[in-house]
Formats: sequence, C-alpha cells, structure tokens
Amino acid sequence: MRRSAPWILAAIAAIVATLVLVPLFRGGSRVAGPAGLAGQRAPLIVLRDDEGRPASLARYRSKVVLMNLWATWCPPCREELPDLQRLYAADASRGLVVIGVDQGESAQRARAFAQSLGLHFPIWIDAQQDFGRAYDALGFPTTVIIDSTGTIVRGYDGALTFDQMRAAVAPLLARLHS
Amino acid sequence: MRDVATLVVAVAAAVLLQLLLPNRAIWHQGWYSVALVALVALLAVRARHAAVKAAGRARAAVVLLAFGGGAIAFSGVASGLLAPDRQQIVGAPGSDIFVPDLGGSLRFAALHGREPPALVLPGRAPLPIASQRYIGAFLVKQMMRTVVAVEARDAADAHLTITQPTGSAFSSPVLLMQQTQRISGLDLPFDAFSVPAAHRIVKVVLFSAQQVALMSGISGSPRPVVLFAVDDETDRPLPHAIFLANDRQQVAVGGLRLRATIVRYPAVELTAIPSLPGLTVGFGALALGLGLSLSQRGAKTPSRSKS
Repeated sequence: MRRSAPWILAAIAAIVATLVLVPLFRGGSRVAGPAGLAGQRAPLIVLRDDEGRPASLARYRSKVVLMNLWATWCPPCREELPDLQRLYAADASRGLVVIGVDQGESAQRARAFAQSLGLHFPIWIDAQQDFGRAYDALGFPTTVIIDSTGTIVRGYDGALTFDQMRAAVAPLLARLHS
Repeated sequence: MRDVATLVVAVAAAVLLQLLLPNRAIWHQGWYSVALVALVALLAVRARHAAVKAAGRARAAVVLLAFGGGAIAFSGVASGLLAPDRQQIVGAPGSDIFVPDLGGSLRFAALHGREPPALVLPGRAPLPIASQRYIGAFLVKQMMRTVVAVEARDAADAHLTITQPTGSAFSSPVLLMQQTQRISGLDLPFDAFSVPAAHRIVKVVLFSAQQVALMSGISGSPRPVVLFAVDDETDRPLPHAIFLANDRQQVAVGGLRLRATIVRYPAVELTAIPSLPGLTVGFGALALGLGLSLSQRGAKTPSRSKS
C-alpha cells in the first residue's frame, strides 16, 4: 500500500462521520405563535364576508393589510375593535386595509356586533376556524400585518393599543408611498 | 482473512436489521451499541493481524473490509445512541408543526382534503409524505389516526366558537384525541374543548366500534360513539350533562347542541435509521474489498493447480 493510503482513509472516515452526525444534530427552532410567522408568505385562505360573499386576501395585493382575529365573547377583542376602526378611518385612504375575522360564529351575530360598535371595515366569517390554525393563533385577539407584497411583517398575540397599531403600519404605508 | 469477513458480515447484518426493522426499541438500548462497538473492536484487531500477514491487493482488501465494517457500525451506533426514539407528530388540520429533527415544518392538510402531510423545508417545494420516505437520518411515514371534529351551536342554532386552550392548536374544532381515559378497564381516547361564549368546557371520550361491542355486548356491527360530558367554565360538572352520541348525530346537552364527526386523519411517524450516506460508503468499501479479495484468489488459483 502506498504511504498516502492511510491519509485517504482518514479523510474518507471524517467525511463519513460528518455525513452520519450532521443530520442527527440539525436542530433549529421557531418562535411559537403569530410572531414566528414574520417573513413568511401570508396563507391565502378563502372565507366569506358577513354578507356571504367569498373573500380572499388575493384581492388586497399592493395594499398594507392588518388582519385581526376576534370573537364577540372575547373581552380584549371588544376593547380593541374601536381602536381598529379608528386606525382604519385614519389610514384607509393611504392604502391600509383592516379586516376583522370573526372566528367560529354566525354571520348574523358578527354583523350585529360590528354594527353595535360602528365598525366599517370588512368583517369576514371563519366558521371552520381555518384562520387561527393557518396564522398560528395562540388566543384571541390575534393580529397579523401583511405588506404590499403579501409577506407577513409582524404577528401579535393579544390586544394592541392604537399607538402600537399605528407604529406597526406607519413604515409600511410610508414605503407604499415612497 | 476468513474471520475478518465473518465479523464484517455480522456487523453489516446487525445494522441492516436496524434499517429493515426500524421500529424496535432494542436499537436504542445501550447494550446493543456496546455489542456493536465490541464487534468492531474485534474486527479492527483481527484486520490488523490479517493486514500484517498479507501484502499487495490482499492487504488492501483487508483494510477496505475493515473500513467498510467500521463505517457501517458507526452509522448504526450513531442512530441508536444519538438519534431520538420513535416520535409521532400529530397536527391539527390546516396547521404547520415545526420539527427540529427534520429542520422544517410538517404541513397538515384540511380535514377532508386528500393531500398527505407535507414536509416544508426553507426554500424548497413541499415534499409530500404519502407512504414512507427516508429523510436525512429518519424514516418518515404517514399513519392514520382517529380524530373527532366537533361543532357547537347555541339554543338558537347559531354557530359557536370552539377553542382548545390545552390542545396542540388553540383555534381548531378538531380534537386530536391524544390523551387516554380509563373507563371500565379500557383505555379510551380522550380530549376536551371550550365553548367560551357559552362558558362551557366539554370533555369528549371516543369509543371504537370494538369497544362499544365489548361494553354493551352488541353482536351485529356496532358503530363508534362519542361521550360528551359538559362542565361549567370552572370545570364543575353540570347536572344531566353527559350524553352518548353517534357519529354525526346532533345532541342537546348542557345548554349546547353538539355534533361529533369521527374521521380518520393522518399523523406522521419519525423513526431514526442508520445514516444512508454512511451505509453507502461502508457497503461501497465492502464491495471494493470483496472484489479485490476475489481477484487476488483468481490470480492465485492457477499457480496452485500447477504445483
């Protein structure tokens, strides 16, 4: 055997060890909940609006979209919804779309509730509770902000204040008009 | 040379068994790995002895056989000692579950969709897991389980939100039935959900057709049933709020109208296997060593017949 043979064998052994061990220590982690969705494409779920018409995010490409998961029985949602209306009234003309996704309730109940609070942004009905699973909801309310390219920028678990909402959408709206 | 070949065959056979019967707990036990390491140590000693005596192609054959045996054993020991035990990944329909061992997420399809679960790795197209696949150091296969999709309505028949604060997906009306409850000596799949608008917590126990037959003595063809037990939001049982319901039957219980649909839905099972690249290199070296050894014998045979 030539002198170089042991070195060749050692090199092959090192390659084998790498091939065997690397897949066992792949690891990695992901932040649980909606916060972990940042940077991903927004799942396109087709739901129905409160009038029973099909509704999809595809319609709002090139806009900044704030989606909020809520239900009538949820106290923090009830506190947050008037602030969402305020944000919608302030920024809709600048390209912001606010969508309230009622999770698991009837269209009549959601519509009556939205009217009682004076909400004018679109209300979608998610009877099969698909939105919460697709957007990794950990509770109510859940808010997801999507930029004009359809990418999720931020995800929040729990109620936001008006100032927090405004701070989150302001840079995206500024980019939309730059 | 013969004892080297015997030891190599023993090592290769043991690790091939790991690959062919991956679900056995034995592969993760310490004594199995110790036995494999002992076999390789013996192989190294015998191979060294044989290599000293041999020369030329015969020596190269011994070295290649020993190297191949070592690579195969290393793949087997690494899988048994370092890889996790068998795991079952159970996801709610429409959810993504991140699996660190696969370096990506398993995406579970809609409840009544026909697509199998798919592995989603960053920057790659989803990889469907229809029957079974070898991915990295794992055998990944789909397995069917029974889950229960529930629907809750109020007295006016209006749809109510269902949540699973302790389940794998908070916002899912599909119960994955991963816990068990012992009733009458039977371990029965169990799960629970909340109906926050009605201030109710509902416990659900699933009886398979066989268990129904066993408990009730029905001969014919019994059907699976679901037991609903409705508590208030502080977990206190309500009076007369336990009800057995057939599949898809709507029942009025505890102030709610509940319907359960019993469905077979896929989960994914992950089993560690010896590294396929490691085995390829190992068996490649064995084949090369065997080839050299045979060619050496072929070269020797005529001279022996002349003498």
